[in-house]
Amino acid sequence: MSEKKVAAKKSSVIQRFGSMLFPLIGLVAMLIVFSILTKGRIVGGRNLLLILNQAYVLLIAATGVFFIMTIGGLDFSQGSIVGVVGIVIATLAHYNLILAIICGILTGGAIGLLNGFMNVFLKIPSFIVTICAMFLFRGVCKYLTTNAPVSAPLSIMDYDIHSIKLPITLVVLVIGYILYRHTTLGIKIKAIGAGETGARYSGIKVDKIKLLVFTAAGCLTGLAAFINLLKVGSITATGGNLIETNILIALVLGGMPINGGAKAHFSTVVIGCLLCAVMNNGLVMLKLDPSVQQLIQGLIFLAVVAITTDRKTGSAIK
Amino acid sequence: MEERQVVLRAEEICKTFDITKAVDHVSLQLNKGEIRGLIGENGSGKSTFVSMLCGILKIDSGAFILDGAPYAPLNQVDANYHGVSIVVQESGTLSGLTVAENIFLGKEDKYVKFGIKNVGKMKEDANRILKSYGYDFIDASAMIDTYDFETRKLVELVKATCFDLKIFVVDETTTALSQSGREELYKQMKRIRDEGGTVVFISHDLQEVLDKTDTISVFRDGQYIDTVNSADMTEDDLKRLMVGRELDEKYFRTDYTASSMDEVALSVEHVSVPGLLEDVSLTLKKGEILGIGGLSESGMHELGKALFGASYNRSGTVKTGEGISIDSIYTAINSGIAYASKNRDTESCILNQSIRDNICLPSLSELSGKVLISDKVQNQFAQEYAELMSVKMQGTDQFVSNLSGGNKQKVVLARWIGKDSDILILDSPTRGIDIKVKADIYALMEKIKAKGKAILMISEEIMELIGMSDRIIVMKDGRFSGEFERSELLSEEDIIKAMV
Repeated sequence: MSEKKVAAKKSSVIQRFGSMLFPLIGLVAMLIVFSILTKGRIVGGRNLLLILNQAYVLLIAATGVFFIMTIGGLDFSQGSIVGVVGIVIATLAHYNLILAIICGILTGGAIGLLNGFMNVFLKIPSFIVTICAMFLFRGVCKYLTTNAPVSAPLSIMDYDIHSIKLPITLVVLVIGYILYRHTTLGIKIKAIGAGETGARYSGIKVDKIKLLVFTAAGCLTGLAAFINLLKVGSITATGGNLIETNILIALVLGGMPINGGAKAHFSTVVIGCLLCAVMNNGLVMLKLDPSVQQLIQGLIFLAVVAITTDRKTGSAIK
Repeated sequence: MEERQVVLRAEEICKTFDITKAVDHVSLQLNKGEIRGLIGENGSGKSTFVSMLCGILKIDSGAFILDGAPYAPLNQVDANYHGVSIVVQESGTLSGLTVAENIFLGKEDKYVKFGIKNVGKMKEDANRILKSYGYDFIDASAMIDTYDFETRKLVELVKATCFDLKIFVVDETTTALSQSGREELYKQMKRIRDEGGTVVFISHDLQEVLDKTDTISVFRDGQYIDTVNSADMTEDDLKRLMVGRELDEKYFRTDYTASSMDEVALSVEHVSVPGLLEDVSLTLKKGEILGIGGLSESGMHELGKALFGASYNRSGTVKTGEGISIDSIYTAINSGIAYASKNRDTESCILNQSIRDNICLPSLSELSGKVLISDKVQNQFAQEYAELMSVKMQGTDQFVSNLSGGNKQKVVLARWIGKDSDILILDSPTRGIDIKVKADIYALMEKIKAKGKAILMISEEIMELIGMSDRIIVMKDGRFSGEFERSELLSEEDIIKAMV
């Protein structure tokens, strides 16, 4: 019996941390490989700060998408939200920066709410809804930048410093973690992803929580748009392009189960985004042609998905 | 017993899932020309064993010897080539294909010449086979989707038996069939035996097993116990072999008087659900077990959902004794109503979720502090109620999907006992559950009743209704068609009359 108990404990430990361990090993392995290829330059102090600088936007926006993916949804609208909200903040920042940030977050939230509304009440799968939203707001973004890029006041660049961006990112991550791991809301979100009908029959207000999750993700992306604007200063037609893809890649590399549910770990956000940032940075450092960079990214992504996808889920074999 | 030729020898067969030994060194023989019953409680390994025999699961260790030659089927089609086939409980036909394509699934090669499938020949053969079974009303070229579940089951039966068979496995198929469908199945089983084949028959209905088989093999906890002659056995003998100890005499309630308190637990007035329920009113008293019976489509399953606030488009009022009006699942749960659905795997619990979360979900608000909820509190809560219900598990971290049917139901009940609900709506509480767990559930229901709580038990099993209910309401076509007080004289026929 005791032997059985030990085995049970062992299997539960593997169950709990296994999905977290592999991405972490991946991150370390990638750092080692790039260290060798770049002769250690990638782990230089200044470069690590650069990697971090590239990861802020991703980390904040991915926190929201993490919750969406946990309930079993997908969100492709992040990049376009970063673009549109960037324009809102850049315009309003000429008058008042605080007001601009608040309006930016609200704009992001409104788009998220729209996504959620279409998903929950019109019952359209979230990936379709958000792909539509992506085209729609990418269009809005292009329309508003037809004549010239929308620029924020130059003074905004003063805030493009780690001592502002790092605390904001950390606060988002810590709140996200606590919400997910230590509140009833987090448990409910997980339950919805694991089985929506079962969750509904357990008394969880599924629709309300879904709306909340989409709206919150929109707000977070609004915040991410602000951080992005600090770095770029002005928004062009392609502002925020491909951020949604980078988020999805980061989360999947970090070990996020595509179907969401009980096996999602919040560590996914941090490890995945850092993995993504290290990979991008490393490939640039190797001075590879951009098209070759994309090719390598694609191959790595494919390999990780092939290795880590949980093929059992969905087809419970008894 | 006369000496019979052996068709299959299983030698030290083992199968392990994670750390659960599903089949543990099973060795047994099957003889030619017999119908062999396979019985055992949920999780005793009988289904796993036949799954390996039919190529659905791979053997971990051990060997099958079929007609003197080693036999290790790669998949179901390969098993078919060796003369082994199976019909199961769930639907085994593929949608989007014709009847003929379903019958010859995996054997299409016969009809393919130069890369082109001869559809006409295939259809012709299928029609001929269907005719030989007497199923002229099935058209081989029709899409399988155009037929109802029962007819599709017949097609499946044809598919599994239309070639030279050595071993035919029937895994819990009869519970899914109506009486006429069962007769067809029994007929084919007899035919195969008389032609010298072997039938392996799995069922939870022990009387059926005794009636239809020649010999019976018993499984317990993944191990093979014994093989006996059906003619020498009674139902009680079988139960004893399955459980491995004497069963308590007590199974259902032993008192024969209806009893309840005067206070109303739930009052239901003029409840309708379009197409499913029509103007239904009832009063459930505290301390009462109210049984709801009827045929599957009588609307009784919808009634449970309607009272739980889970029906779409319900009209009428449902009120608790305290006067709270129930119109959503959320208010139902927080007004002390619990619901265990017939669809255990999708509605009653969340399969891909831990036992802990499953038990804690309805009680989260009680377990949570102002802002945060502690892991320790959740673990203790889940552990306490899982142990109370004696759920067989490795730990509360284990996913519910790995549990057997009976244990899943225990987890479902544990969450509502934990919530301390006052009104329990139990839809088919013992469906697909073995006798030991059944007895546990009945005992639990009596305990709940004694505490002054109310139970609404919806069941397709008439004996269960008579055995446990203070009052039985029978439904037909969305309405009530009869009501019976608890009494010693109440017979199955009385209830059936009201049902049809």
